[in-house]
Amino acid sequence: MDLAFTPEEQAFRQDVRAWVRANLPPAMAHKVHNALRLTRDDLQGWARILGKKGWLAFGWPKEFGGPGWTAVQKHLFEEECAMAGAPRIIPFGPVMVAPVIMAYGTPEQQKRFLPGIADGSVWWSQGYSEPGSGSDLASVKTRAERVGDKYIVNGQKTWTTLGQHGDWMFNLVRTSNEGKPQTGISFLLLDMKSPGVTVRPIKLLDGECEVNEVFFDNVEVPADQLIGQENKGWTYAKHLLSHERTNIADVNRAKRELERLKRIARAEGLWDDQRFRDQIALLEVDIVALEMLVLRVLSMEKSGKNPLDIAGLLKIKGSEIQQRYAELMMLAAGPYALPLIQEAMDAGWQGNFPGGTLANAPLASTYFNMRKTTIYGGSNEVQRNIVAQTILG
Amino acid sequence: MDFDFSDDQQQLRDAVRRWVDKGYTFERRRAIVAAGGFERAAYGELAELGLTALTVPEAHGGLGQGAIDAMVVMEELGRGIVLEPLAQAFVTAGVLAQYAPQELQAAWLPRIASGAVLVVLAQQERKARYRLDVCEAKAVVAPNGYALTAIKNIVSAGDQADAFIVPAQLDGQIALFLVERAAADVSTRGYGTQDGSRAADLQLASTPATLITTDGLAALELAVDTAIAAACAYAVGVMDQTCAVTFDYLNQRRQFGVAIASFQALRHRAADMKMQLELARSMSYYASLKLGAPAEERRRALSRAKVQLGQSMRFVGQQAVQLSGGIGVTDEYIVSHYFKTLTQLEMSWGDTLHHLGEVSARMQEQAGVFA
Repeated sequence: MDLAFTPEEQAFRQDVRAWVRANLPPAMAHKVHNALRLTRDDLQGWARILGKKGWLAFGWPKEFGGPGWTAVQKHLFEEECAMAGAPRIIPFGPVMVAPVIMAYGTPEQQKRFLPGIADGSVWWSQGYSEPGSGSDLASVKTRAERVGDKYIVNGQKTWTTLGQHGDWMFNLVRTSNEGKPQTGISFLLLDMKSPGVTVRPIKLLDGECEVNEVFFDNVEVPADQLIGQENKGWTYAKHLLSHERTNIADVNRAKRELERLKRIARAEGLWDDQRFRDQIALLEVDIVALEMLVLRVLSMEKSGKNPLDIAGLLKIKGSEIQQRYAELMMLAAGPYALPLIQEAMDAGWQGNFPGGTLANAPLASTYFNMRKTTIYGGSNEVQRNIVAQTILG
Repeated sequence: MDFDFSDDQQQLRDAVRRWVDKGYTFERRRAIVAAGGFERAAYGELAELGLTALTVPEAHGGLGQGAIDAMVVMEELGRGIVLEPLAQAFVTAGVLAQYAPQELQAAWLPRIASGAVLVVLAQQERKARYRLDVCEAKAVVAPNGYALTAIKNIVSAGDQADAFIVPAQLDGQIALFLVERAAADVSTRGYGTQDGSRAADLQLASTPATLITTDGLAALELAVDTAIAAACAYAVGVMDQTCAVTFDYLNQRRQFGVAIASFQALRHRAADMKMQLELARSMSYYASLKLGAPAEERRRALSRAKVQLGQSMRFVGQQAVQLSGGIGVTDEYIVSHYFKTLTQLEMSWGDTLHHLGEVSARMQEQAGVFA
């Protein structure tokens, strides 16, 4: 048992650090470190920079053009990016749909879709949730009917994160009503510019439009955009969910945000307030414990063991921590977190923010936004069901 | 970065587990509690397994093993809620090996290793609560060494131990001394504690003592950090077993015509117990892995660990009793004993609030496993 990374892993970290330092535009890092609004150009700009280096596909094996990194190397890469203030990699393409295409797509589909994911030129969206299908995903109703060499898709998806920027979308669609709900689902890729696709942004409680409703009205989808076999989509979706267990904990970002929380507490004169400082200390302990849990999972993966019984805990704890740091940052500003001015969250805004310091401008917004973390990706209640299943049967 | 145990560590674990399962049954433990909470024969069995020698340097008749080996052993002893304070051997051997003059090491370490003597730390004073820098015990130079005057409380197996490591003021700073129980003017008064284990008050009145080190506070901090790491590992063993017994009970117990494990409110509670167990296990690893770090880093890490363990212990213990229903509050059922052990452990070597204060005071700009 050893806490230290190997010399090779440490050298790898140094290489990544040097590259990120040289290639991450300072204006982007400034926005991330201060929780200012990131534009589509920021997000895709960073994706393309990574793509050029071959690192947007950082989780991919070599045979598909990825770097073939180990689980530990992937973790170190994500940590270096997070600590440097890089925008997060939008996961829908490189992290979510790509592994499904690699595992179940035809060679033609792989050739057609993977390059655009790897270089960051094609923005992918996720079509899973529906108005009537949240935690109970297997109940999806969006229909895809096979007509000749096409599918005709009708229905509605929702909570499509950043779908307003999307070029392509992977969807769970119903192709059969026979048998169990899980058995009639197919995994279908579609071009969001197809006739009959309507994207309608949903304004959220923080005033931002981070998610969308996507409507399908007789959308024609060529049958060669079906992944794998018809009615086997649930299996593929589960494969997707089993991927990248550790990054859902987002512990690297939590470490960066803890530093920001400390800066805010200092600026607000709370660093020497024992009651408040103890709350930060408690969060610090939580984050170290989560990091140890992540490292344990990585270590198990490294030695070929299945970390199933603890991997399920990562999302619960990670999301609770995200909510907690957002909450403490807002509480640190106190009354000066009350003014909510949307423009003040744009980099370079020249107005006069009434919340004491511009650093306080995004705090309430982030707090409101973070309420999503215990709801999405399988609500924490569903996660507890899954954990309970592993320990109680 | 690797959290696998070596084959040797796995064998060590298996050996201790076999002894706990066969040699330290709940019935035997119950009898030991009834007889006062400490059994020399049981301590002798730990010594026969080589456990008292585990962390003693080879030069002094020990096995020269490290913190992770000690952790493995403590986890298994926790599984059996073993009362005899093996951790004291790790603590006192560690302090002697690092701080004592050679002749003192040569006189005591081989006997600690063989189990011939039990040496325990006697640091607790009424006014100190959990602070290590508060010490009223006084040492003065005497014709053949030093003389100590002190009252120390809650000394582990204090009326059974053969010698004590005692902090006392010497020339305005804390020094550490070794005091034999057989020395003149030593009085002890033993009693039981929450979990059934034995402790004692120790009174010294100009009692002859041998100096271990004048760098007493640093040595005491190392001793307590070693004790914290051992307590964390022991607690992980207790919680592992507590969870296993409780989860099994949820599947056995039937109400309203079904196993109560089918109720979601209870399933979620069980999931939360599992969460606390695994966070605790993670931080127990962290505690033992950081024992060899420089003092400031080590202290910060051990306090972080104790904060996590303290929260986990309280949650797992309380919820295990709750989920066991009425039987959970009976003396007959083992879960109530796990709960009392966890309660005592949370309050030993600094409780959660104390260590939260330590983490708070030692916070830096950056934080994480490696900071």
